[in-house]
Formats: sequence, C-alpha cells, structure tokens
Amino acid sequence: MNPQIVPIHRKESLREDGMLFVRTEGILDTMVKLPLLVASMIIVAAVMPIQSSFSSPRVLDLIIYPDGTTHVSSEIDVDPLVTDYELDLFGSTIDNFVVVGEDGFLLNTDVIGNSALIETFGSSIITIEYDIHDLVSKQGRIWTFSLDAPSDFTLLLPKNSAIVGMTNLPINMEIINDQNQLTLSVGDTEIDYLFSTTPIISDPIVSDTLTPQTDYLTYALVGGVVAASIAGIAIVIRSKQKTAKPEQVQESTQKIETVDAETIFKLKPDLREDDKEIVKFIANNGGYALESELRKKFLQPRTTMWRAVKRLERNGVIVIEKKDLQNLVKLRKDIEKEEEE
Amino acid sequence: MKTLAIFTIFVLISGVAFTSSANNAYAQNDPSILLRIATQADKQILNQLDRSYGDSIPSKIQTLYEKGHTSVESLKNSLPDNIEQAREDFLSAMKSFKQITRMISEPVAESKISAYTSESHRDFSSELDRLEKHVQNLKKISEKYKSEINFDEIDNLINEAYIQIDNGTDNTSEIIDKLKDLIHSIEKEIRESASHGASDRIKQFIDKQLKGIEKKLTRALDAGADETQIDNAHELIAEIKILISENDIDNAKMVFHDLHKLVKNIVRSVR
Repeated sequence: MNPQIVPIHRKESLREDGMLFVRTEGILDTMVKLPLLVASMIIVAAVMPIQSSFSSPRVLDLIIYPDGTTHVSSEIDVDPLVTDYELDLFGSTIDNFVVVGEDGFLLNTDVIGNSALIETFGSSIITIEYDIHDLVSKQGRIWTFSLDAPSDFTLLLPKNSAIVGMTNLPINMEIINDQNQLTLSVGDTEIDYLFSTTPIISDPIVSDTLTPQTDYLTYALVGGVVAASIAGIAIVIRSKQKTAKPEQVQESTQKIETVDAETIFKLKPDLREDDKEIVKFIANNGGYALESELRKKFLQPRTTMWRAVKRLERNGVIVIEKKDLQNLVKLRKDIEKEEEE
Repeated sequence: MKTLAIFTIFVLISGVAFTSSANNAYAQNDPSILLRIATQADKQILNQLDRSYGDSIPSKIQTLYEKGHTSVESLKNSLPDNIEQAREDFLSAMKSFKQITRMISEPVAESKISAYTSESHRDFSSELDRLEKHVQNLKKISEKYKSEINFDEIDNLINEAYIQIDNGTDNTSEIIDKLKDLIHSIEKEIRESASHGASDRIKQFIDKQLKGIEKKLTRALDAGADETQIDNAHELIAEIKILISENDIDNAKMVFHDLHKLVKNIVRSVR
C-alpha cells in the first residue's frame, strides 16, 4: 500500500485544524423542521386540487354540424374573488358567443383573437357557448376534426357521418338521435369522418358477440316474443293478400306504367350526365323518390339538388308533389305521349 | 415521532403525485365500442375503395387496408378478455384507415371549413339550426331579466326559413341574413337590460372587496410596506367610492382593476 495515500477518515490532523463534522444520521432533524415540512405538504396537497379545478372546464360538450362548424358548450369553475377571467378559445372565428354566470345572468365579455376576457365579478361557475369554424377541415370527401382538449369532452358527430380514422382511444360512445356521440379524453384528438349513404349504426350481431355475460333467458324470452310477432304478422299479411289481390295487381300495373330511364334518355338526349344519374335512381326506385333521399344518395347540398330537380321538372321529365311537407319527385308517366304530340 | 413524520411526508407526497396523475388516468366504460367504431370504419373504407378504384386498388393502399382489417379481426379476438391488446389493435386499425383516407382524398389543398367562406357552399340548414340554438339561449337570458323582449318575429322567420330550405327556394340566404340582423338587435336589447342588473352586482362585489383590501393595506403598513404606495391605494379606494356613488360603474371597474394590481404589488413587497 502506498504510504502517501491515507483514507480521509483516518486523518487525525483535520480534527486538530478545527474542522466542523456533522453527523449524517441526524441531518433531517438538524436541517429540516419537520412540523414545517409536514404543514407545507398539507398546504400543497390541499391547494393542488383547487388550482387544477379553476380554469379547467368541468363540462365540455361539442356538437359538429354538417357544414363543419362546431358548437362549443362549456362550464368552468372560476375564482369568485377576482374581477375577470381570461378564457382561451379554440380558435378565432367565433359566432354567437354567450357567457352566463351560475345565476343565469349575462356576463360582459371582450373577445380578442383567440381569447375572451370575461368579467366574472363574483361568479364561481360560468357557462360559455359559442360556434367556431376552426376545428374541422375538409380534404376531398374526408372531414377532419382536431382539438387539443383541456379536459375530457363529449363530441356529437353529424348525422350520417362515419368515423374512418382516429388518433386516440374513446372513453365511451353512444347513439343519440341516430348520431354518434363520443366521450374523449383530455389532450390532442384527431378524428376523420365522412358522410355515408349506408347506415352508420353498428351491427347488432357485433354487439352480441361482445357481451358474453348476456342473460340468455332474456334473449330466449325476447326471441320468443319476436318469433311470435313475426308469425302473427305473416298470418295477417297472408290473410290480407287473399282479400286484397286486386289492389296488388293495380299497384304492380302502376309500376309497369313507369317509364324506364333509357326511354327517357332517348326522348331527352340533352339531359346532363348528373341529371341522368338522378333519373336512373328514381326509375330504379319504382318511379318516385323524396328529394331528401336524392340528397342523401348523391351527397348534394340542399340547393344543388333542388336546382337539379327543378331542371328535370322544366325538362318535363319529372313532377314534384308535396308529401308531408317534403318534395316527392316522380317520373312523368305521360312523357312519351307528350313527346309524340 | 421521526418515523411517524417521515411516514406522513411519504403519504402526502404519494397523495399529491396520485391526485395529479389521476387526471390523466384513462377509463373506458365499454371496450366493445372500440370494435363498433373499428368495424364501422372498416366497412366505410371498403366502400370508399370500391367507389374510388373498383377492382384496381393500388397495391400500397391494398396493403394498408389489409393491415387495418387484420387489426380489426385481432381486435374482435382480443375482446372481451385482452383489453390492452384490443386498444393496441384499435389504434393500429384506425391509423391504417386514416392513412388510407388521406391517400384516397382528392389531392386538393386542405382548407378550413367556414359557413361563410363562399355563398355557394353555405349550408343553410346547419346555419339555421345554430341560430335557433342561439335564440333559445337568448330567450332563457331574457326571461332571467324579465325583459319583455318579443321573439315572435324571430320565431316566424326561423319557421319561414325552415320551410324555404325544405322547398329549396333561392331567398333562404336573405331570410337568414335578416334573422341575423334581428338577433343582433335583440342581443343589444338584452345587454342593455343586463347592464342594469350587472351594475348592482358589480357594486356589491366591489364594496365587499374594498373592505377586504382596506384590511390588507392596514396589515401591509404594519409589516413595513411603502407608505407612498399605501397612500396611492387609499386614493384609488376613495375614487372608486365616488364613482360608485355617481353610478359610474364602467370607470369604477377600471379603477378597481388598477387598485387590484397595486394591492398585489404591495402584498408581495412585504412577504
């Protein structure tokens, strides 16, 4: 062992020089006042939930309209001791902005760019509602909703929309008035959807396979009732068929009377290609269709479809009738006679 | 005693850490919704591919679709027992479908959707639905103030607009613009009614706050705060009281904001 190297704890000379030694096992008692530390920790623990409760929404509900505009509805806890609250909006193109206090009274607001200064003056909960045009973008047929959400939120998608892409996991999904409502968690969310002509409600068979704890007795009972109903309906229909045969014959002859699409195209060679598609659809549908059905089928805005229908009416291809406040579009049966004249 | 104290600290630290992490905790009510969404997306993507390419789907898209579809199948098998795997399968499937949608979308520049960007793209039905919702909000607020604002004209216009939309007539845009003007004037009326009630509320709030601020200033003076600043604060308090007595609420609010800032600085200086 090299005599020059001496372990430091054996150096007696250090003590002689008056060096201060601190016993490490007592450091906590010496350096830290335990009661003070405990008290501070209690304060931190108590204050943390209060801090996080202010400014993060307690409720956040979003509704996407078919044109991509989103309605935001939010409830936020605010400090009742301050005069105002600065709210970060989800964008800058805002409409119909309304803020009320917990008593339902209107609060003064000043919207500048992406933020709103709300005069809360004693309110502890504020409810905010506005429409925003910045959350949904569209590329081709695909619509994309994106949001960095400050809290969990619900998102109601438009009718006939189908999700085709998603960046995170949903917490829940419900069907409300034939619309998908997702519950999503805080943070970045991106959802791609498109408008579908096929039904968007999920297949009940799929759900069945996912519920192994199903009460089979209930299923048997429901199945029994359904089977009995089907049998009953079948008997009724059969008995009606026997008595109502002449009507059926009349109905079938009505369908035969409908002019087929090819004949119309021969008689009206100048029809536009998109109008021809509409005529084909109506012809295949038994000679009539609601205007709303045409809109859904061809994914056309209301006005565009209305113009197309009007064009066909002017060309003498169809007639428009009113049915339950809706436009019923029918192919003209007398188109051939008219053309002959 | 020492062990107890250390244990208390440990419990508190864990408590703080737990409460902050609990915010990010993820809870799924029913994992079967993952399958519902993924299956629906699968069907839609298949429809879109059929519509866009028929039988000649590009190989890259075909590979992506197969990957997504395999994930959906795996998701089916993972449920209901293997939730973690199901989540992974869901995200993988949706990622593939998302990539496909990006690829089959028409190659146009991404643009933000706005109901107002172009007259020809306006969706009157959506616009009207939103306006109707806004009117419902205004009605509730108006009832709160017991203001006798008449909404009949607005209701009639909304009904008329819905009929026009159903009929597809061309003057829907005019009706909606007229409706917007009416809503603006009603909003103005409500704000005027609201301002009277708000004044009383703000007066009460400021009165209550001023009492608290005066106590804070006394304590700050005892703690050695700058006397000039304390005098300035008292001057502002006197000014606010005069403005409130003159019912000049807007200016009272402005001066109160200045006072609030000043008091904050004073309190901070003596800490």
